[in-house]
This record gives sequence, structure tokens and C-alpha cells, in this order.
Amino acid sequence: MLEVQTYPTIGEAAGAMDDQARFLGGGTLIMNRVNYGDPRFNRIVRTTDASLAEIRVEGERLEVGAGVTMAAILASRDLDFLAPAARAVGGPAIRNMASVGGNLMAPHPYGDLAVALLALDAVVRMASGEELGLEDFLARRNGVVRSLLVRRPRGDEFRFRKVSRVKPKGVSVMSMAAHLTRSAGRLSGVRVAYGAMASTPVRVRAVESALEGVSLDHAGIAAALSAATEGLDPPDDPIASGWYRREVAPVHLRRLLLGEDAR
Amino acid sequence: MHAEYRKDLFADERSDDFDVVGKPVIRQDILGHVTGRSKFYDDHAFDGLLHMRCVRSPHHRARIRSVDSSAAERQDGVVRVLGGRDVPVNTNTLLSLINFGRDDEPLLATGKVGYVGQPILAIVATSVRAAQEAVDAVKVDYEELPHVLDVEEALKPEAPIVNDEYPNNTFDYFDTYDHQKLRFGDVETAFSRADHVVEGEYQMSPIEQAPIETCGAIAAPETSDRITVHTSTQALFFSVGVTAKQLDISSARLHFIGGTVGGGFGGKVDSHHEPLAALACLATGKPVKYMWDRAEEMQVGGPRGGERWRIKDGVMRDGRIIARAFTGFFDAGAYTRLSSYAVQKSTGHLPGPYSIPNVASNVYCVFTNRTPSTAMRGFGITAVDFAIERHMDKVARVVGMDPIELRILNAYRDGDMKAHRREAKNCALIESCQAVAHKAGWRLSADAARASSKTGGGEGASGVIPETVTDDEGRIGERRRSGLAPEPFSGQGTRGLLPEGHSSNNSSAFGNAPQREDMEAEIERLGFKGGPGAPPTPRGPVDEAASGARPTVPGETSRPAGAGGGPTLPAAYAQRPAGTVDQSIAQPPAQEPAAAEVESDSATTHFQRGVRRPGVSRFISGSRRR
Repeated sequence: MLEVQTYPTIGEAAGAMDDQARFLGGGTLIMNRVNYGDPRFNRIVRTTDASLAEIRVEGERLEVGAGVTMAAILASRDLDFLAPAARAVGGPAIRNMASVGGNLMAPHPYGDLAVALLALDAVVRMASGEELGLEDFLARRNGVVRSLLVRRPRGDEFRFRKVSRVKPKGVSVMSMAAHLTRSAGRLSGVRVAYGAMASTPVRVRAVESALEGVSLDHAGIAAALSAATEGLDPPDDPIASGWYRREVAPVHLRRLLLGEDAR
Repeated sequence: MHAEYRKDLFADERSDDFDVVGKPVIRQDILGHVTGRSKFYDDHAFDGLLHMRCVRSPHHRARIRSVDSSAAERQDGVVRVLGGRDVPVNTNTLLSLINFGRDDEPLLATGKVGYVGQPILAIVATSVRAAQEAVDAVKVDYEELPHVLDVEEALKPEAPIVNDEYPNNTFDYFDTYDHQKLRFGDVETAFSRADHVVEGEYQMSPIEQAPIETCGAIAAPETSDRITVHTSTQALFFSVGVTAKQLDISSARLHFIGGTVGGGFGGKVDSHHEPLAALACLATGKPVKYMWDRAEEMQVGGPRGGERWRIKDGVMRDGRIIARAFTGFFDAGAYTRLSSYAVQKSTGHLPGPYSIPNVASNVYCVFTNRTPSTAMRGFGITAVDFAIERHMDKVARVVGMDPIELRILNAYRDGDMKAHRREAKNCALIESCQAVAHKAGWRLSADAARASSKTGGGEGASGVIPETVTDDEGRIGERRRSGLAPEPFSGQGTRGLLPEGHSSNNSSAFGNAPQREDMEAEIERLGFKGGPGAPPTPRGPVDEAASGARPTVPGETSRPAGAGGGPTLPAAYAQRPAGTVDQSIAQPPAQEPAAAEVESDSATTHFQRGVRRPGVSRFISGSRRR
């Protein structure tokens, strides 16, 4: 049988977790497993902790509660840079429920918001208060998340793009995000992340290093495009084959980097 | 995109009072859908609703040595475990309701399984979770057996038997052949005089209908001893009939409520949920829901079947196609469902919208250890159309001709005789090609631009049924014994000859003889038969020979007057010149009725012949039909 446990604070909820429990955020991932009688867990743990839904300014960084929904991001002036990624998640009904914390846990090919957060070098604050980089978090993907810490990018240096066959609600063929920081007119310290190109959202270091010190134009990004899928083995799934993902990745990367309109 | 309608093409065909196309139309059900007020079957709530999950085969083909559900039965929340022996009529075939094919598919498998995901037990419990945990606790001891997944592998003599009811791995057509034949003219002679012979093979994969709402049904008891079934079926009366048959109860006890189908596309005609939910309702006295999850919908739900088509064309230098032979394989999966019918539907469609004087096809409904396939959007037509049109392009390349002009040259014109012996009417392929070429800025030659569907049709040989070569190859079981190739005329079987004739329209009694007696359209079975007081003469189509709508063929007698209510022997059979036809081919002796017998039979002879066959459901009895 399935039990639902509700705790007043995120800390207590985190303490109640084990491998037979699932933490309920917005429920968009868990509830369809419940509806289908998934026997891999027998407890649902949730919290009424109101701080999870808060968006706070913390010095240079914004702290986004793990329970903040996609719809709340779209409604937030402080998080306008995340709006394109939040809007790429599901339809309105899903966005009303789906949470930031859940998006970090979403299995392939979901998790478009996490791709944006990864490119923005977000830091994950766990229920225990421990902080770790999003990349490290995605590598093990366990524990209960309290919030995310993210810096607002400047000007137009942040780009996000989701490629799907069905618009506007399609599942990702791939999603891409780039934080194009510059130094003296040339790219420097760029971060590029892909979604649906590996089992979790990943940074693409080959592309990042190929963009170091180049100018943001056709000639400058040529090396990055030829390294678009270096070190990646994109998965086959019902949305697209790994072969297809590899073939089209350079095209979408070019459109992302140069801000080209692709209909 | 702005749409343009070329109503002028059909100006003579119908009154031009349609005013729907091209305008936004509010669908009658859309308001309920967008406001969330439409009730789908799963929106009906019941106190104490029970849930059903199935134990399914993990193997393509296996013998079931034993099933141990004792641990499952003891689990919390488990109310009932149902197996094949709990189903009153466990074996069914969908089209038994129209008396086509033999019962071959168990609702719950016993003894053996034929595809991955085939249900063996249905477990009813107080929650989906409890039902699923019980499913996981069932121990089934399988002896895995060799399986076959490819249609042509399945035809080989050494292939494992997929479906015990059809041990040759092919559906039986007319109790005689392992395939559906089409013979029109003489393809062999035409191939030998063609300038080019162009061959091609085309393979289409299965496609899952993928409805938003997965298939399911809720069956709930009523105090009136009836069962109310809320269902997602797209074939409500079909599902009622199947449920009544498999539960062996009167359909008067079944109250089916449907109408809101959350996406069907053909995938919701198979009627497996309704019998199982209703059976569990009878067994427990409680409302029961049986609903597939998404994985089941994809793995177990019947898809559009895979099809393989080989096309061989005989083409003249000028692009004229003088012969076309098809070999088609429909992958039915482990059981028949609707694939037997898809084969016939596709055969009626051959050779595509082209006037080809010599056509032959062998089309097979093949059993393999795949998920049984079923209906989906034009099934039987879409795949062969794809093959035909790809092949037209290939022919165009071989003869060095513009592909659109090749189509215009060979397109049906009004009055041309089609391979299934009906006259082509309302043709518009030429005009469609011209419109497309114009819109695309594609230059057509003056001849092609001038062509019209209304001129040149039915001239000379193109208006008559040619003298047709027949054969008796591919009798049931022969292929498996001898490894006979599947293509038409590929063996040394006896050949027959049917004389030239004219359009048959609704009955070949007006024109040429059918290849076999049971291909004769049974006029008395078409439409409403009338009450006891109705005149005994069938209400067939107007006698065209008598009405003068069609010229009478010299030497052909018109339909005998006063035929006493039954189908008569076609004139062409009676007049066949001695020595040109081997009677044993056209009509196998064992099944050949004497002429007098046919004349004297009542109008219901053919109907009853089917019903009296052993194993055929009494639910299609004459009394029920009336």
C-alpha cells in the first residue's frame, strides 16, 4: 500500500526519506507513477514548508525555492531570464504544478529548466544547508533540495533554445543553453549545456573551450560547431535517435549562439 | 494557408450545395472538451471501484507449463484472480460477428502464449497498486519456444506455428487459398512483350495509434441484473456483441455507454477491455475498471500492421504500363483481428488509380509472433498507396519520363474498367496532377496539360474485362509443404481462362463470371431484406442489360428472367466454350454445387451455410439478425 506523509519543514521531510519514499514536489513526475501503481516506492513524503515557494534576493544571487513552479518563474520579474526555459516546460497545467526542484530530478528527455540553470552555473542548496554545484548534484541526483542559487546574467549573454517536433508542448529533441560571457569583445569563460543529449543535462566542455577567445560570428564559432557533440553519446528514444540528435546538434548550436531565428 | 477548391471538377457529379469546406466549423463536442465537461469513461466515479491488471507474457512464444497465483491471491486488497477457464467463451475473433474467419484468440491465454504482453491472468484488487503487486507475485513457468517475427520467414515450411487455428501461418481465404488473389488479364504474356520490367520492394513498419486516453472500460452492476459498461471503445455495438459472446450472456443485460473516445484512430475497436471488465463485474458483483497504462498501450495495443509489398511492372517505351503484379504481406501478428479484412480492402484498391490492362496480385495475411495488429486510419490502403506511388516514380526514372506526366498518361479515365471489375467513375487524378503541376510551377507537355478524366476513358479494350488467366496455386497448406514462392503465377499450378466480359457493377451475374462461385455478390445479403411479406425476388440493382444502360455483349444472354429469388449461375459460366477452362480450377469439385441446386436454393442458403459451421457463434444466428 501507499502512504502519504506530510511534514511542516523541509528538514523533517528530508529526514523521512529512504529508497522506498518519493518526495512530492509538484507531482507531475510522481503522480503518474502513482496512478500506474508503481511498486518501487510505498511512501510519498511532502512538506507544507512555505519557504520552498519563495524567490529571494541574497546578495549577488537569487535564491529560488525548490517548490517554485514554472508558472511562478514566468510571473517573476527577477527571474525573467529564466522565462524562456520555464515556458518550454509542458503546457499551462503542467507549468502550474511543476517545480524547480522536480525539474532537476526529471529523467531524460525532460529537465529543460535544469539545462538553463546548468549554463548559469547555479548552486544547489540541499535541505541540510549543504551547497553544491548543479553539475555535481546532477551526477548523483539524490537528497532533498531546498533551493537554487543563481546569478542574473548581464544583457543578452544568456541564450536558451528548445528543439521539439511538436510546438509549443513537445518533448525535447534537445535543449541548449549558453552563458556567453565576454572579455574585451571576445568570448571568455563561456558555459554551454545540453538537455536530452545524455542521461542528465550536461555541460559541453569541448564546445566551451572551442569558444574561448573567439568572436561571436560565423567564423569564430566554426570550431565550436564541429565539436558540437564531442564526448557525447546521445540516447535513442521515441522522440529522436541518437544519430539524428548528433546530426542536427551543430545546426541548433549555431542558431543558439548567433541568435538566429529558426521557425 | 489559403485553400482553393476546384468544385468544377465534380460539377456534374453532385449538387453544389455543400457549404462546410473552407469555413471554420464548431465541432459538436468541442465545447465540452475545452471546458472540461465532456465525460470520458474514466470520469465516472463509483464507490468501491475495483481495479484490474493483467499478468502478461514476457516471451514471443512459449508453452505455459504452470501458473501459480496462490501467493497473489493471499495478498492484501486482492479480490479475484481470473484465468482463461473463467471466461465462458474464451476464444473469439473480432470478425466472427460478421461471420468472417474462425475464432482464434483467447481473451486470457491458456496453455501457450504467442506474443510479448499477451494476457494470461486478470487480477482484480482494491487499488491499481494492489493489483500490480499481485501481478508481480504470480509465478508462471514458461517453456520458451522458437518464434518468428518476419512475414516471409513465417511462410517457410520450417517456421514455427504461430496460431493453432491457422497452422500454415496464413489466414484461409474462401476455405481454399492461403492468400487473396486478384487476376485481371494476362500479366505473364504482357511482361514478355513489355519494353521494361520494373521491380521494387517496399516495407512499412507498424504504427501505434497512440491515443491520449489509453484504452479501458469500467463495468458496474445495476440492480436490474444488468451491467453498465462505460468504455472508450470506438465501436460500441461491436464491443457489446463481443462481450455478450465471450460472457455467454444476452446483450440485453449489457448497457454500454460510450461516445467520448479520447483518441481512437482505429486502436479502440479490439474490444478486449469490455469483456474483461464485465466478467470481473459479474464475478465480484462490484464495479471494476480495466485500464491500460501507457506502456501497455504501446506494447499490447494493436498497431497498424507492418506491410511488405513487391511490385513488378511491365512498361512500354512510351511510359504506358501494360502489366502490374503485386505480392503483399500483411503482418497480422499472433491473431487475426482485422488483418484478414485489411488484405481484402487493399486488394480492392489495386492497382492504384491507374488503368492497367493486366493485373495480378497475391496478398497474404500472415501470422507472426508480434503484437496482433488492428485497424488504423485507412489500414490496407495507405501502405500500398505509398508503395505504388514510390514505384511510379521508379518507373518514370526507368523510362526517362516526367513523373507527373507518367501518372497522367496512365491515370484512370471515366469509363475505364478497374481490376476489380467495376467501371471507374468520378475520376480526378489527371486534374489533380494538373493543378499540382500548375501550383508548383512544373511544366507539363501540351498533351499532358490537355488531358482530361472525361475523355478517352473506356475506349476499346480499356472498357472491358479482358480475357483473364487464372490459376489454383497457393491452396491452403501447399506453400508450407512445397516452399512455393509467394508471387502470382510462380508455380506449376493448373491455369484456367475466363472469357472477356463487361462491367459487372453490383453482380457478376450481369457480366463475366467470378473466379469462384462464392465470389458472386449475394444480392439478398445486401441491405435490408424486408419483412416476411417482402417479395421473394432480391432487390438487386437495375438489370442493366434490360434497361439498355450498357450494351449487351454479343453472344451473352441477359440475366435470366424470373430467377426464383436466389443467385443464378452467371451466363458466362454457362456459355464458356468447352475446352478452354478447366472447371476444376475455377470451382474445385468438392465445393462445386450443381447448377440445378443453386437455382433451387432459397435466398438464405449462403447465409445459413456460414452459421451452421461448427464453432461459429450462435450470436450471429438468423433469429438474432432478424
